[in-house]
Amino acid sequence: MTKVLVIDDEAQIRRFLRAGFELHGYAVQEAETGMAGLRAATIDKPDLIILDLNLPDLDGAIVLERIRSWSNVPIIILSIQANEHEKVRLLKLGADDYVVKPFGISELLARGEAALRRHLRSTDREPVVRAGPLSIDLVSRVVSLDGRRVQLTRKEYTLLHALGSHAGLVMTHQQLIREIWGGRGGNIQYLRILVRKLRQKVEIDPTHPLLIVSESGVGYRLDRGSTASSNGQNELRADDLGRQRLIGDFQTI
Amino acid sequence: MSTFQRRNRLREQAADSSKNDFVSPRARHENRPQNRLAAGAIPIAAALTLVGLATAGLFVINSFVPLNLIPLFYMLPVVVAATRWGIAPGLVAALAGAAAADFFFYPPLYSFWLDNRQDVIDLLLYLLVAIVASNLAARLKTAADTSNRREREITELHAFSQGLATCLTSRDLIFAVQDYLSNTLKYRAVLIASAPDDYGLDAGHTGVPEAVRQEAVKLMTASASRASTIIAPVTTKAWLVRTIVPEILGYGAIAIELGRGSSDAIAIIAHHVEAVLDEAMVTLKHLKVKEAIEQATINYQTEILRDALIGGVSHELRTPLASILGSCSVLDQTAAIRGDRGSHSLVAAISDQAAQLDRQIRDVLDAARISANGVRPRLVWTDPTDIIDSAVKQKARRLASHQVVIELRPDLPLVNVDSVLVEQALGQLLENAAKYSPAGTVIRIDSRCEEGYVELSVTDQGSGLTTDEKKQLGRRCYRGERNLAVSGSGLGLWIASTFIAANGGSLHAESRGPGLGATVSLQLPTGSENTPELADAFND
Repeated sequence: MTKVLVIDDEAQIRRFLRAGFELHGYAVQEAETGMAGLRAATIDKPDLIILDLNLPDLDGAIVLERIRSWSNVPIIILSIQANEHEKVRLLKLGADDYVVKPFGISELLARGEAALRRHLRSTDREPVVRAGPLSIDLVSRVVSLDGRRVQLTRKEYTLLHALGSHAGLVMTHQQLIREIWGGRGGNIQYLRILVRKLRQKVEIDPTHPLLIVSESGVGYRLDRGSTASSNGQNELRADDLGRQRLIGDFQTI
Repeated sequence: MSTFQRRNRLREQAADSSKNDFVSPRARHENRPQNRLAAGAIPIAAALTLVGLATAGLFVINSFVPLNLIPLFYMLPVVVAATRWGIAPGLVAALAGAAAADFFFYPPLYSFWLDNRQDVIDLLLYLLVAIVASNLAARLKTAADTSNRREREITELHAFSQGLATCLTSRDLIFAVQDYLSNTLKYRAVLIASAPDDYGLDAGHTGVPEAVRQEAVKLMTASASRASTIIAPVTTKAWLVRTIVPEILGYGAIAIELGRGSSDAIAIIAHHVEAVLDEAMVTLKHLKVKEAIEQATINYQTEILRDALIGGVSHELRTPLASILGSCSVLDQTAAIRGDRGSHSLVAAISDQAAQLDRQIRDVLDAARISANGVRPRLVWTDPTDIIDSAVKQKARRLASHQVVIELRPDLPLVNVDSVLVEQALGQLLENAAKYSPAGTVIRIDSRCEEGYVELSVTDQGSGLTTDEKKQLGRRCYRGERNLAVSGSGLGLWIASTFIAANGGSLHAESRGPGLGATVSLQLPTGSENTPELADAFND
């Protein structure tokens, strides 16, 4: 059974997280303070850590840094402030992803699962990433959409590869720019245009991206086709808005 | 220039002006044409009287002791007249003295004829000495007068400075200047404010010639010069018009009536007044700094309070809401709730209401933050497609009962904006569209690209806008009267337009009328994204 450690000082939040995770077959441990969290992370070796940023004793960012100093365990941050700067900083410090309160359990589960899968892949070397109709073979570098092979330029592939190897998790603009252009040249404008070109090849409707989704002010995420949106308020009616749209020009590749 | 230096300059000017026969304001006022004649005649008559008295005295003394030094005796009225009334009465006394000595005391008596050559030389010598003496005496008098006046002016200026020091607001100060010029220097000073309430004054002062007022307006609007002297056409009186440091005080000017006089004299007076105003402006700047410091202290304290409030509210209110929303999301997945339609819809209702409450709290917090710190956008090149997509996703639940149609051009240029703020603003437009149009109707999102900007618009088929509502739209806390039944704080659109404005864009509303739907659009600035190196960036 997958073990998840919840570090949060709010009893009500812990209670619903426990219920939500247990409902989906996780074993849940709770810690009320940063110190207790660090202890539990060391002794109980959880598979996934949910870390709140506002802790009474230690700053969440410090807990994150300490855990990262000895462990690669997937960590998802819970943050109440929608401060993009802070999110980017935490991702840089080694958080796998974040959710902003208020959030729904499916959103958190999706992030947690994506982080777990990525963690496993780094040990199992599972080469193929799937997201909706898209499949990316990270080893043979073959990209196909609904079974048909898609031709990508090298930069487009590098972008998709970076997103695919973190499938379901956010990658910051800076991480992507570094992956694609290395230390020289790249900037956010280039990245935006490259993303647009890639979307024209892999999205059904490039003006309504379902696979490569933007995390405002932070980065991009390859959505694995889960309907969980970035906002918890939306997920009760799992009504994909795409159905309400006029499906635009389908790009034949 | 420091206050001290300015004060010194002021003193020099006072001394300077006396050298140049500075007409003291009081004296100047007395110099009306009819008065001037009388003022000149009195000292001369007095000088002649003195000579008469001297003659009478000489007759008396001469009857007892015959005198040889008669001209010497006549020096007395000359010196007295020159020291008291200046050089002209002194000279008159000298001439009259010579004439009287000749007539009454030199043989032949009672005739202006002189028998003795020695007497002629005596009298000529007397005249020479008298002229020199009266000149010296008159200069002495001028010097004494100057030092008196200087002392008086310094005392007055000192009193003025002290008066300035007690001013607590810039308004007090302006009045102190006006008071000083009017009461102490006897000039008429009038404040001309660009807006009546700038100094709490009525701009329509009576008795200020239209030409002067126009000059003031000209100076207030032009930044080049700050003072000028003009002659009012009808009264031919000179006026000095001087702006009052526009960067500190808003726009205002002070007009000072200098009266008639030679252009030199007016220039000197203008200089003097200018110095007084400079002095006042220095104080004014200090005062402004003091006021600014006090204001900053108050702002700082308010800010601490507000931050505490914002922090407290966001934690104390939003954390319980987060657990309500989270718990709902878990409940909604349990078999018991899923199997029961009634329970399911109840959970959905709780979740909806909690989400709405959370949104409203966020609006209030946003509004408080905007008021406290303004908006500081972090501009990043962004694809408008992403902005629309995120905004629509954010509002998916609000839009669920409407039909959303998105018409996007695939080649929209990038926009340089803070995407988070613009998304929130666009989300607000979508939310309003959903709120004010019936379920099942279409909400359209269109994009348009123009030179220099991208326009995103949201069109609904709802209650539309009246002309009045269109005008009021975007005002803080404005809510249309027709829609008071729809819940809301009236903050949303205000926040949206503030966010858009902070991004260098603008927000417009159009409606063909009530019931005919509305289109609200955002214009966002674009740049030249086709930089030469852009092509290179994609070479493999």
